[in-house]
Amino acid sequence: MTSTRAFRRFAFAYGIAFAVLYVIARARGLALFTVYPSLGIVLPGMHRSRDVADPVLDFLAPEMWWFGWTATAATGAFAVGLIAALFPDRWSSRFWSGWVWVAPAAAMLSCVYLTLPWFRL
Amino acid sequence: MATVLVILHGLVAIALLGAITHQTLATWAPASSPAGSFFGRFRAVPSASFANAIVLLYVATALLGAVVYLRFKVDIQPYMERDRHWRALGFFDLKEDFVAIGLGLLPAYWTSWRRPLVDEHAGTGAALTAVLAFIVWWGFLVGHVLNDMMGFGS
Repeated sequence: MTSTRAFRRFAFAYGIAFAVLYVIARARGLALFTVYPSLGIVLPGMHRSRDVADPVLDFLAPEMWWFGWTATAATGAFAVGLIAALFPDRWSSRFWSGWVWVAPAAAMLSCVYLTLPWFRL
Repeated sequence: MATVLVILHGLVAIALLGAITHQTLATWAPASSPAGSFFGRFRAVPSASFANAIVLLYVATALLGAVVYLRFKVDIQPYMERDRHWRALGFFDLKEDFVAIGLGLLPAYWTSWRRPLVDEHAGTGAALTAVLAFIVWWGFLVGHVLNDMMGFGS
Protein backbone atom coordinates (compact mmCIF):
# COMPACT_ATOMS: atom_id res chain seq x y z
CA MET A 1 0.00 0.00 0.00
CA THR A 2 2.88 2.37 0.86
CA SER A 3 4.59 1.64 -2.44
CA THR A 4 1.25 2.14 -4.23
CA ARG A 5 0.90 5.59 -2.69
CA ALA A 6 4.53 6.44 -3.44
CA PHE A 7 3.99 5.44 -7.06
CA ARG A 8 0.82 7.52 -7.16
CA ARG A 9 2.79 10.57 -5.95
CA PHE A 10 5.44 9.82 -8.58
CA ALA A 11 2.85 9.40 -11.36
CA PHE A 12 0.88 12.54 -10.54
CA ALA A 13 4.02 14.69 -10.18
CA TYR A 14 5.42 13.16 -13.39
CA GLY A 15 2.26 13.98 -15.35
CA ILE A 16 2.15 17.58 -14.17
CA ALA A 17 5.88 18.19 -14.58
CA PHE A 18 5.96 16.55 -18.01
CA ALA A 19 3.23 18.84 -19.32
CA VAL A 20 4.87 21.98 -17.92
CA LEU A 21 8.38 21.02 -19.02
CA TYR A 22 7.23 20.03 -22.49
CA VAL A 23 5.75 23.47 -23.09
CA ILE A 24 8.90 25.15 -21.72
CA ALA A 25 11.12 22.92 -23.89
CA ARG A 26 9.01 23.65 -26.95
CA ALA A 27 8.80 27.40 -26.33
CA ARG A 28 12.48 27.86 -25.47
CA GLY A 29 13.91 25.29 -27.89
CA LEU A 30 15.33 23.05 -25.18
CA ALA A 31 15.66 19.81 -27.13
CA LEU A 32 17.91 17.20 -25.54
CA PHE A 33 18.91 16.14 -29.05
CA THR A 34 18.11 16.86 -32.71
CA VAL A 35 17.29 14.12 -35.21
CA TYR A 36 18.18 14.41 -38.90
CA PRO A 37 16.13 11.60 -40.44
CA SER A 38 17.40 12.08 -44.01
CA LEU A 39 21.01 11.82 -42.84
CA GLY A 40 20.35 9.20 -40.16
CA ILE A 41 22.18 11.14 -37.47
CA VAL A 42 21.33 12.43 -34.00
CA LEU A 43 23.14 15.43 -32.55
CA PRO A 44 23.03 16.41 -28.88
CA GLY A 45 21.27 19.71 -28.20
CA MET A 46 19.16 21.89 -30.45
CA HIS A 47 20.41 22.44 -34.00
CA ARG A 48 18.95 24.15 -37.05
CA SER A 49 19.92 23.29 -40.60
CA ARG A 50 19.53 26.94 -41.62
CA ASP A 51 22.30 27.94 -39.18
CA VAL A 52 24.89 26.09 -41.26
CA ALA A 53 23.28 25.97 -44.73
CA ASP A 54 21.19 28.18 -46.96
CA PRO A 55 17.52 28.10 -45.81
CA VAL A 56 16.40 27.12 -49.32
CA LEU A 57 18.35 23.86 -48.86
CA ASP A 58 16.55 23.16 -45.59
CA PHE A 59 14.47 20.41 -47.20
CA LEU A 60 17.62 18.36 -47.87
CA ALA A 61 18.30 17.89 -44.16
CA PRO A 62 15.10 18.61 -42.23
CA GLU A 63 15.65 18.57 -38.50
CA MET A 64 13.30 17.06 -35.91
CA TRP A 65 13.09 18.43 -32.40
CA TRP A 66 9.97 16.61 -31.19
CA PHE A 67 11.96 13.62 -29.94
CA GLY A 68 14.37 15.96 -28.15
CA TRP A 69 11.60 18.02 -26.54
CA THR A 70 9.89 14.84 -25.37
CA ALA A 71 13.17 13.49 -23.96
CA THR A 72 13.81 16.80 -22.15
CA ALA A 73 10.35 16.75 -20.58
CA ALA A 74 10.57 13.05 -19.68
CA THR A 75 13.98 13.44 -18.02
CA GLY A 76 12.96 16.48 -15.98
CA ALA A 77 9.60 14.99 -15.05
CA PHE A 78 11.27 11.77 -13.92
CA ALA A 79 13.45 13.75 -11.50
CA VAL A 80 10.42 15.69 -10.20
CA GLY A 81 8.46 12.43 -9.84
CA LEU A 82 11.24 10.78 -7.85
CA ILE A 83 11.40 13.75 -5.46
CA ALA A 84 7.61 13.67 -5.03
CA ALA A 85 7.71 9.93 -4.30
CA LEU A 86 10.10 10.59 -1.42
CA PHE A 87 7.72 13.07 0.25
CA PRO A 88 5.73 11.85 3.28
CA ASP A 89 2.22 10.70 2.42
CA ARG A 90 0.57 13.33 4.64
CA TRP A 91 1.98 16.10 2.42
CA SER A 92 0.10 14.82 -0.59
CA SER A 93 -3.25 15.26 1.18
CA ARG A 94 -2.77 19.05 0.84
CA PHE A 95 -2.29 18.66 -2.88
CA TRP A 96 -5.31 18.93 -5.18
CA SER A 97 -5.17 15.89 -7.46
CA GLY A 98 -7.04 17.79 -10.18
CA TRP A 99 -3.78 19.53 -11.15
CA VAL A 100 -2.86 16.31 -12.94
CA TRP A 101 -5.44 17.03 -15.66
CA VAL A 102 -5.55 20.85 -15.37
CA ALA A 103 -1.80 21.19 -16.08
CA PRO A 104 -1.88 19.06 -19.28
CA ALA A 105 -5.03 20.84 -20.47
CA ALA A 106 -3.28 24.20 -19.93
CA ALA A 107 -0.16 22.84 -21.65
CA MET A 108 -2.25 21.82 -24.66
CA LEU A 109 -3.71 25.32 -24.87
CA SER A 110 -0.17 26.74 -24.69
CA CYS A 111 0.83 24.45 -27.56
CA VAL A 112 -2.10 25.82 -29.58
CA TYR A 113 -0.72 29.32 -28.97
CA LEU A 114 2.80 28.22 -30.00
CA THR A 115 1.41 26.66 -33.19
CA LEU A 116 -0.50 29.78 -34.28
CA PRO A 117 2.28 30.90 -36.70
CA TRP A 118 1.38 27.95 -38.96
CA PHE A 119 -2.12 29.37 -39.33
CA ARG A 120 -0.90 32.88 -40.22
CA LEU A 121 1.10 31.78 -43.24
CA MET B 1 7.75 -0.84 -45.51
CA ALA B 2 6.55 2.67 -44.63
CA THR B 3 3.10 1.91 -46.04
CA VAL B 4 2.89 -1.26 -43.94
CA LEU B 5 3.87 0.73 -40.84
CA VAL B 6 1.27 3.43 -41.57
CA ILE B 7 -1.46 0.80 -41.96
CA LEU B 8 -0.34 -0.94 -38.76
CA HIS B 9 -0.21 2.44 -36.98
CA GLY B 10 -3.77 3.11 -38.15
CA LEU B 11 -5.06 -0.30 -37.07
CA VAL B 12 -3.58 -0.04 -33.57
CA ALA B 13 -4.95 3.52 -33.36
CA ILE B 14 -8.43 2.24 -34.20
CA ALA B 15 -8.22 -0.33 -31.39
CA LEU B 16 -7.09 2.44 -29.01
CA LEU B 17 -9.85 4.75 -30.23
CA GLY B 18 -12.47 2.08 -29.56
CA ALA B 19 -11.16 1.25 -26.10
CA ILE B 20 -10.79 4.83 -24.87
CA THR B 21 -14.11 5.93 -26.35
CA HIS B 22 -15.84 3.05 -24.62
CA GLN B 23 -14.16 3.85 -21.31
CA THR B 24 -14.90 7.58 -21.60
CA LEU B 25 -18.56 7.08 -22.40
CA ALA B 26 -18.90 4.44 -19.68
CA THR B 27 -17.35 6.89 -17.20
CA TRP B 28 -19.27 10.00 -18.19
CA ALA B 29 -22.64 8.57 -19.26
CA PRO B 30 -25.44 9.31 -16.77
CA ALA B 31 -25.75 6.70 -14.04
CA SER B 32 -29.54 6.87 -14.33
CA SER B 33 -29.53 5.15 -17.73
CA PRO B 34 -31.96 2.17 -17.82
CA ALA B 35 -30.20 -1.19 -17.52
CA GLY B 36 -31.35 -2.40 -20.94
CA SER B 37 -30.50 0.84 -22.79
CA PHE B 38 -27.39 1.40 -24.90
CA PHE B 39 -25.65 3.47 -22.20
CA GLY B 40 -26.90 1.12 -19.52
CA ARG B 41 -25.08 -1.76 -21.18
CA PHE B 42 -22.07 0.51 -21.77
CA ARG B 43 -21.86 1.31 -18.07
CA ALA B 44 -22.16 -2.35 -17.13
CA VAL B 45 -18.61 -2.88 -18.45
CA PRO B 46 -16.06 -2.22 -15.66
CA SER B 47 -14.13 0.84 -16.89
CA ALA B 48 -11.04 0.05 -14.85
CA SER B 49 -10.48 -3.15 -16.84
CA PHE B 50 -9.73 -1.04 -19.94
CA ALA B 51 -6.82 0.87 -18.35
CA ASN B 52 -4.02 -1.65 -19.00
CA ALA B 53 -5.08 -2.20 -22.61
CA ILE B 54 -5.35 1.55 -23.22
CA VAL B 55 -1.85 2.22 -21.84
CA LEU B 56 -0.34 -0.55 -23.99
CA LEU B 57 -2.23 0.53 -27.11
CA TYR B 58 -1.31 4.20 -26.56
CA VAL B 59 2.39 3.38 -26.22
CA ALA B 60 2.29 1.06 -29.25
CA THR B 61 0.47 3.67 -31.35
CA ALA B 62 2.87 6.43 -30.30
CA LEU B 63 5.95 4.27 -31.05
CA LEU B 64 4.65 3.29 -34.48
CA GLY B 65 3.72 6.92 -35.13
CA ALA B 66 7.21 8.05 -34.10
CA VAL B 67 8.79 5.65 -36.62
CA VAL B 68 6.42 6.76 -39.38
CA TYR B 69 7.04 10.40 -38.44
CA LEU B 70 10.69 10.05 -39.52
CA ARG B 71 9.56 9.14 -43.03
CA PHE B 72 6.85 11.82 -43.00
CA LYS B 73 9.43 14.51 -42.27
CA VAL B 74 11.60 13.50 -45.22
CA ASP B 75 9.14 12.17 -47.83
CA ILE B 76 5.89 14.05 -47.18
CA GLN B 77 6.36 17.34 -45.32
CA PRO B 78 8.51 19.07 -48.00
CA TYR B 79 5.77 18.46 -50.57
CA MET B 80 3.08 19.69 -48.19
CA GLU B 81 5.12 22.86 -47.65
CA ARG B 82 5.58 23.23 -51.41
CA ASP B 83 1.80 22.97 -51.83
CA ARG B 84 1.25 25.41 -48.94
CA HIS B 85 -0.77 23.09 -46.69
CA TRP B 86 0.17 25.28 -43.71
CA ARG B 87 -2.98 24.66 -41.68
CA ALA B 88 -2.70 20.90 -42.07
CA LEU B 89 0.92 21.08 -40.92
CA GLY B 90 -0.15 23.22 -37.96
CA PHE B 91 -2.75 20.67 -36.96
CA PHE B 92 -0.13 17.95 -37.31
CA ASP B 93 2.26 19.90 -35.06
CA LEU B 94 -0.49 20.01 -32.47
CA LYS B 95 -0.95 16.27 -32.85
CA GLU B 96 2.72 15.69 -31.95
CA ASP B 97 2.43 18.02 -28.97
CA PHE B 98 -0.79 16.48 -27.66
CA VAL B 99 0.49 12.92 -28.10
CA ALA B 100 3.67 13.77 -26.15
CA ILE B 101 1.65 15.33 -23.32
CA GLY B 102 -0.57 12.23 -23.34
CA LEU B 103 2.50 10.01 -22.96
CA GLY B 104 3.42 11.95 -19.83
CA LEU B 105 -0.09 11.44 -18.48
CA LEU B 106 -0.11 7.65 -18.81
CA PRO B 107 1.39 6.79 -15.37
CA ALA B 108 -1.14 9.06 -13.61
CA TYR B 109 -3.99 7.71 -15.75
CA TRP B 110 -2.98 4.12 -15.00
CA THR B 111 -2.62 4.65 -11.26
CA SER B 112 -5.89 6.56 -11.01
CA TRP B 113 -7.75 3.53 -12.40
CA ARG B 114 -5.86 1.08 -10.20
CA ARG B 115 -7.42 -0.40 -7.11
CA PRO B 116 -7.46 0.45 -4.19
CA LEU B 117 -7.01 4.07 -5.30
CA VAL B 118 -9.67 4.05 -8.00
CA ASP B 119 -12.45 5.00 -5.58
CA GLU B 120 -10.38 7.84 -4.06
CA HIS B 121 -9.71 9.39 -7.45
CA ALA B 122 -12.84 8.66 -9.44
CA GLY B 123 -13.16 12.28 -10.56
CA THR B 124 -9.47 12.58 -11.46
CA GLY B 125 -9.55 9.28 -13.34
CA ALA B 126 -12.61 10.40 -15.31
CA ALA B 127 -11.00 13.74 -16.17
CA LEU B 128 -7.73 12.11 -17.23
CA THR B 129 -9.67 9.66 -19.38
CA ALA B 130 -11.48 12.55 -21.07
CA VAL B 131 -8.18 14.37 -21.75
CA LEU B 132 -6.63 11.21 -23.19
CA ALA B 133 -9.75 10.54 -25.27
CA PHE B 134 -9.51 14.05 -26.72
CA ILE B 135 -5.82 13.49 -27.58
CA VAL B 136 -6.54 10.13 -29.21
CA TRP B 137 -9.45 11.49 -31.26
CA TRP B 138 -7.40 14.54 -32.31
CA GLY B 139 -4.47 12.36 -33.32
CA PHE B 140 -6.68 9.95 -35.22
CA LEU B 141 -8.60 12.60 -37.16
CA VAL B 142 -5.54 14.72 -38.02
CA GLY B 143 -3.51 11.67 -39.03
CA HIS B 144 -6.38 10.38 -41.14
CA VAL B 145 -6.90 13.74 -42.90
CA LEU B 146 -3.18 14.15 -43.61
CA ASN B 147 -2.99 10.63 -44.98
CA ASP B 148 -5.92 11.44 -47.25
CA MET B 149 -4.23 14.65 -48.42
CA MET B 150 -0.85 13.19 -49.20
CA GLY B 151 -0.46 9.60 -48.05
CA PHE B 152 2.53 7.43 -48.75
CA GLY B 153 2.91 6.56 -52.39
CA SER B 154 0.96 9.62 -53.59
